[in-house]
Amino acid sequence: MSFLLGLLLFVVVIGIWDARLPWPAPRTGGRP
Amino acid sequence: MIAGHFGLAAAVKARARPVPLWTLMLACQWLDVVFVPLLLAGVERLEPVAGAAQGAYGQAIIHADYTHSLVGALVLSAGFGAVAAIRYGRSSGIILALVSFSHWLLDLIVHRPDLPLLPLLPGGAGGVRLGLGLWRVPAAAATLELAIVVIGGALYWRAARGVAGTDATQARRAVRCGAAVLVAGVLTLGLNLAGL
Repeated sequence: MSFLLGLLLFVVVIGIWDARLPWPAPRTGGRP
Repeated sequence: MIAGHFGLAAAVKARARPVPLWTLMLACQWLDVVFVPLLLAGVERLEPVAGAAQGAYGQAIIHADYTHSLVGALVLSAGFGAVAAIRYGRSSGIILALVSFSHWLLDLIVHRPDLPLLPLLPGGAGGVRLGLGLWRVPAAAATLELAIVVIGGALYWRAARGVAGTDATQARRAVRCGAAVLVAGVLTLGLNLAGL
């Protein structure tokens, strides 16, 4: 249960919240 | 160990800022994510230490030669990084592969000697199995996990607050994320300690 809850919280909930912060974009190496 | 892996991923996010947090969190648990279906299928298994209650914190021997052998962990981590690199670029893929493999290294500290070098050794007979066994002292293992969660969460919180800048809305989001990492880490560790 702790494993599944941890995944839900960290990957899904906090992952979604964090994605709304203005972190720099990943460097994909593609041309703009 | 569960919460400690998340704490390490949070610390990595503080430095590797372009890598999406959710990918780091998934990477740090990737070996266990693959382990779960193999456990349910009976391919890999958990055996309680003699005299220990089922699910007690750190009181199990893991028989997971595919997901938790050194070579298995390297292969799974390389695969995770390679797939991530397609979407997020080479440098992010390398970081995610390293975070995935960090799972094995942290497990090495706490596990009893049950981590083989290679999968497919017949019953593990004759194969070297590694593990420093900190789980034999649950309080020490839990303290280590808590320290990783608190340090990783604090580093992440500071980095999130930094990128938020002076924008009030972003600052509130950063505080919410930082607090959530710490609370979720402590909650996960607490449930793990409770054997849940």
